[in-house]
Parts: sequence; structure tokens; C-alpha cells
Amino acid sequence: MLALRDVTVGYGKTPVLRDVSLRVDSGRIVALLGANGAGKTTVMRTVMGLLKPWSGDVRLGARDIGGLRTARVVRLGIGLVPEGREVFAHLTVAENLRMGAYTRRDAAEVAQDRERVFRLFPVLGERLGQRAGTLSGGEQQMLAIGRALMARPRLLLLDEPSLGLAPLLVREIFQVLRQIHREGTTVLLVEQNAHMALQVADYAYLLETGRVVRHGAPAELLEDPAVKRAYLGG
Amino acid sequence: MFWQLVVSGLATGCIYALVALGLTLIYKATEHVNFAQGEMAMVGAFLGYTLYTDLHLPVSMAVAGAVVLSGVVGLVIQFVVIRPAADQPHFNVFIITMGLSIVLRSLAGLVWSHDEFPFPGLFPVRPVTFGPVVVTPLNLGTIAVAVGIMAGLFAFFRYTRHGVAMRAVCERPEAAQLMGVEVRRVFAAVWVLSAAVSGLAGALIAPVLNLSTHMGAVVIPAFAAAILGGWGSFPGAIAGGMALGVIENLAGGYLAGQIKNMVPFLVVLGVLVVRPQGFLGEKEIRKV
Ligand SMILES: Nc1ncnc2c1ncn2[C@@H]1O[C@H](COP(=O)(O)OP(=O)(O)O)[C@@H](O)[C@H]1O
Ligand SMILES: [Mg+2]
Repeated sequence: MLALRDVTVGYGKTPVLRDVSLRVDSGRIVALLGANGAGKTTVMRTVMGLLKPWSGDVRLGARDIGGLRTARVVRLGIGLVPEGREVFAHLTVAENLRMGAYTRRDAAEVAQDRERVFRLFPVLGERLGQRAGTLSGGEQQMLAIGRALMARPRLLLLDEPSLGLAPLLVREIFQVLRQIHREGTTVLLVEQNAHMALQVADYAYLLETGRVVRHGAPAELLEDPAVKRAYLGG
Repeated sequence: MFWQLVVSGLATGCIYALVALGLTLIYKATEHVNFAQGEMAMVGAFLGYTLYTDLHLPVSMAVAGAVVLSGVVGLVIQFVVIRPAADQPHFNVFIITMGLSIVLRSLAGLVWSHDEFPFPGLFPVRPVTFGPVVVTPLNLGTIAVAVGIMAGLFAFFRYTRHGVAMRAVCERPEAAQLMGVEVRRVFAAVWVLSAAVSGLAGALIAPVLNLSTHMGAVVIPAFAAAILGGWGSFPGAIAGGMALGVIENLAGGYLAGQIKNMVPFLVVLGVLVVRPQGFLGEKEIRKV
């Protein structure tokens, strides 16, 4: 579904990603792991068209989407839950969800998807009129995910959804991720929390200072001594 | 006398409020401070004048036309002057809008001359009496139109898809892009809206001030109004505008006529000392 081939990109003149290649096949959950500063967010931003690749290409199916305007990428069916949630703090929960469905004109199905979001995150249904800025961190993360689902993306990118959350909430978020995936959405998940990510993923890539240094099935990566040392605490 | 001063002050205050709203729209969306806001109002009023005198449209149509044409002027300005400079530091854009204000005034002078013209009012000026209060329909009509437009803007931002999207863009342009919003189009739309609102303000105040290329100076009390209410706040711009209009008129009426023009400066000084965030403004929270 999504494929990056030899993508090099950065900010200003310094490259951050060098010749990164990775694939997310339809129906999978793929994890992208790496330490802070490895370039995980940069991968997401490049896919979303927030950065234009210097070289290499980004394909969605057969289509080259490298450097396409973000609003166009969203309309092709890719959604991003950004790092740090980025909910609209001054907008209500209902308005945030409405923004998630901004590209859609099928009101009846949007209403169904809203119900689906409330099933996944019942607390959002109870906070509809509340400004997003007044929600707790966990609730904001749920809203960020719910908002992205409102676009009904075929491919959902999540950038560190567990960041800063209590373990119980992290578990809940990951459960919902599994559920979303079961219901037919392909997922690319960025995590520093390698344990959790490898539990849900079908396939994983390991990024180190802008390069893919390992990739494989979670079982293989869990056995890899280098991975163990760096990311799994021994 | 007090209530007359209040009502006519409110009418002027509504004009300040509209121009202040125009400033706030652009500031909230792009963090640009548009010094040419007053000249945009002036050009709008002149366009209305031309529709009235040369095309012989009825006053109401001329004013409506002024609003629409102002929007077009806003779009052209955004495309030609602002968009190419969008990545520049905000201060540079501010200087560009200062230049723009001079250019607009000169162009208006070339087209219409720097004379004063009587501008037809939407409403009659012959006073009517309500008990002890004598007011002009012009004042009441100005207030009604301005309040109607503000209510319309409120409903737009609150209830419509594009209105909510504009608020989202104001807060987090990048996240709004991730929702599929074409942010550059929203920035252009904000200039259209801002210019249209200012054009209306120009057409509403022209009958009172007489139409001239100096009308752009209305931007000064509009800035004062926005600061009084809380820079960057929509309710603040409205309340600040109305309050400033009334304060100015009362000071002019009870103290001395000459004080009137100083009031905006005194108010700004006072606010910045006593309550820098303005009365309805939020304390500035710097995004990291
Ligand atoms: N806006 C930016 N400007 C310049 N450098 C950046 C910017 N964003 C990230 N970087 C640099 O790019 C590298 C990768 O960042 P990022 O993709 O955010 O890593 P990760 O998400 O894996 O923590 C880091 O060294 C970071 O300092
Ligand atoms: Mg990151």
C-alpha cells in the first residue's frame, strides 16, 4: 500500500533521513522503532507531504505522492495522529471530530463514524461540548485518534501515541489500535515503547540516525541482540 | 445629552469594532498585523461612492457592492503582496502593509482626488425622539447593520464547516492541514473576509466623516479598540470598539472637543499599564 524507496530528506541543508526504504502492506500493522531523534517523525511528515523528499520516492499504491500537498494526501486516504496529539484546544470535542471529517460530504456515514469513535472511546461522547484543551492527556490522545478516524483513512499513521501516558492508558490505546486494525485499517505505528509496539505489529523497522538498520517480523527483532541491547533493556 | 452621546458613540464604536475585527481576523489566522486595514476601509467606501454616483445604484446596493468589491481588493492584495512574503518575518510583512497603506492612499487620490465628498447615508440623519433621547436613524441603523454583521460572523465561525476550519487554522495551521484543509486558501479567504468587513465599515462611516483619502486613519482607533478589548480576541475587538466609541464621545462632549482625538492613545496607554492583555484578552501563552 505505502512504500518509501531510498528517501533522503531533512530540514534546511542537513539530511535527517538517508536512503530510507520501507513498506506497509495493506491490512498490516507495521511498527517503526527508534530512539529519540532517529527520524521517525520525519518519516511521517514526509509521507503526509509536510516535507518534500530530496530524493527517492513515496508511493501509495502505484501513485507517487512524494511532495504532494498535505490536503491532497489526506484525500487519498492517509491520516496522521501527530506526535504530541495536536488537538485544537480552543475547539470543542465535537468540533475537533467535525474537523476530522472535514474532507467528507457523506453526512450519514460521518454520523456512523462518530458513533464508532464513541464506541471506541466512550469518554469522548461524554465530553462533546467541552473544549479539547480542558481534557486530560489521555483523553486528548483519544480525541486525536478519534479525529483521525473521522476521515475514514485506509492507512492510519500514529506518531508515539503512548507518549506521556500512564501504563493503564497505554494498554487501552493499544487495545483500540488492535480494534481499529481488525475493522480494516492499515496502520503504521511509530513508537519508542518497543515492547508494546512489537506485541501488536506484524512487521517492524528499526531506525537509527536516519537509516533503517534492521527490519523483520517482531519475533526476529525480539531475538536480535542489538535490538535487545538498545531498545528492550537488555 | 448623555444618552445622545452614548448612542452616537456606539455608532462610531461599531465602526471601530468592524475595523478591529478585520485586524483581528488577519492577526489570528496569520499573525500578521495589517497596517493598511484603514485604507482598505477607505477604498471600499470610495468604491461604494463610485457605484452610487457613476452607476446610479441605490445606496443600499452601492454599500453591498462596496462590501463585495472590497473583498475582491482583499483577495488581490493577499495574492500580489502578502502571499509572496508569507515566509518572511512578521515584522517585514508589517512594513509591507505600511507601504501598502501609502500606495492605496496614493492610488485612491489618483482615481478620486484627495478632496472630500459627501457620502449618502444608508439611513436618514433627521433626528427622531424616544422620550428624552434624541437620536438619528443613521446612528441606530449603523449600529443595527454592524451588530447584524457581527452576529452573522459569530454564527459563521460557530456553526459552518468553513468557519470551524478557519478557527482550526488560526490555532494550529499544520494540524488543520492534516484534516485536509487547504490552509493557503483559508489565508486568502481571511483577507477577503477582513477586507469586506472593513469595506462595510468604510461605507458606514463615510456619511459621518465625509469621504476622503484620509479616512484610513480609522485604523488608529481600531488598533486602540483591539488593544482595549484584548489583542487577538474577537469579542474583545467588538467590546473594545464600542467602549472606545462611547468613551471618546463622552470625553469630547463633556470635557473638550479637542480631547476626542487623543482618547485612543490615552486608552491604549492606560490599558497597557493597567491590564496589558486587554479586558477580554487571554494572557499570552507562548507556544514552544
Ligand atoms: N523542524 C526541524 N528543524 C531542524 N531539525 C529538525 C526539525 N525537526 C527535527 N529535526 C531533527 O531531525 C532529527 C530527527 O527528528 P525526528 O524525526 O523528530 O526524530 P524522532 O521522531 O525519531 O524523535 C533530529 O535530529 C532533530 O533534531
Ligand atoms: Mg518523533
